Amino acid sequence: MVKRMSEAAARVQKDASALMAEEVLGFQRNMARRGIIFSFTGYISEGILKALGDALRQKIRLESTDNKTVNRVFSVFVEQVQNIIRYSAERIEHDAEPPVELSSGMITVGSDNGRFFVVCGNVVGRDDAAVLAARLRELAAMDNAELRRFYKEKLREPSEEGSKGGSIGLIEIARRASEPIQFDFQDISDVQSYFVLKAYI
Amino acid sequence: MAVVESIQHEATDRTPAVLFDFAAGQYRLAGESYPEDAASFYGPLTLGLRQSLEDQVSDEVEFTVEMIYFNSSTAKALMNMFQLLEHAAESGAVVRINWCYHVDDETMEEFGEDFSEDFVHAEYRMCPQS
Repeated sequence: MVKRMSEAAARVQKDASALMAEEVLGFQRNMARRGIIFSFTGYISEGILKALGDALRQKIRLESTDNKTVNRVFSVFVEQVQNIIRYSAERIEHDAEPPVELSSGMITVGSDNGRFFVVCGNVVGRDDAAVLAARLRELAAMDNAELRRFYKEKLREPSEEGSKGGSIGLIEIARRASEPIQFDFQDISDVQSYFVLKAYI
Repeated sequence: MAVVESIQHEATDRTPAVLFDFAAGQYRLAGESYPEDAASFYGPLTLGLRQSLEDQVSDEVEFTVEMIYFNSSTAKALMNMFQLLEHAAESGAVVRINWCYHVDDETMEEFGEDFSEDFVHAEYRMCPQS
């Protein structure tokens, strides 16, 4: 009786493994179908930015993309990840030595009909979401010449109180994009909203 | 405070080579710049530049930028330093900025043109390189 039970347990175990491979492969194929080169979800640090950025540059250089595109994709990637690191509302800070600073979010890079895209998602406070949405609407309506002027204007201004330079980062993303940046918000609680930004290069 | 004569950093993957020779009035930034913390990297450089310009440590100042890529926080730091340089030139110092970029690099060329607009008293040269 005991032996039979363990055989049954082994069968279940094997079935579960088979399903696991199917599920993971399905997940990976689904990502590939969407043209995703890589996607990272979880706590992001500057070290992860550096490692993913290096891999990204190598990968898109291999696809013999011209330097201009490589640089543009890289720049949009850096600004998006640094925005997550600085502005995600899901974060851990600890005064260890060296200090621990981790912010949760998602960053995805892919290509779609021969164009690269970079998508980031992270949680923001609902009050901040309203400010961010207004800023992004303004940027999405600008053409290249206007974005160039606006970037310059923001550089000249003294830093806003409490700002870590994010507004210039968003302009940089919009300047390097080949079409207006797309963004969306979804409220996830009374105080928080999930923010997504997508830029095609 | 003791006068710092120079600041020198080797380039890293994320930060440019730095040579700020305050006594000679020679300044150079070269490479890539997307530091983990732009304020802590550029803060001491900006402070040193401000002090040496205020104290008129050298008769002439030459500031050379040879960047391949920099992020938006670095652009802000460059702007802060350029404002100090233009202010010093306005007060009578001889200041020259060299903006060096690869001839095919439109992004760095555009940045160079945009920064040039803020210089009236300092001499600003675009230096395309092949």
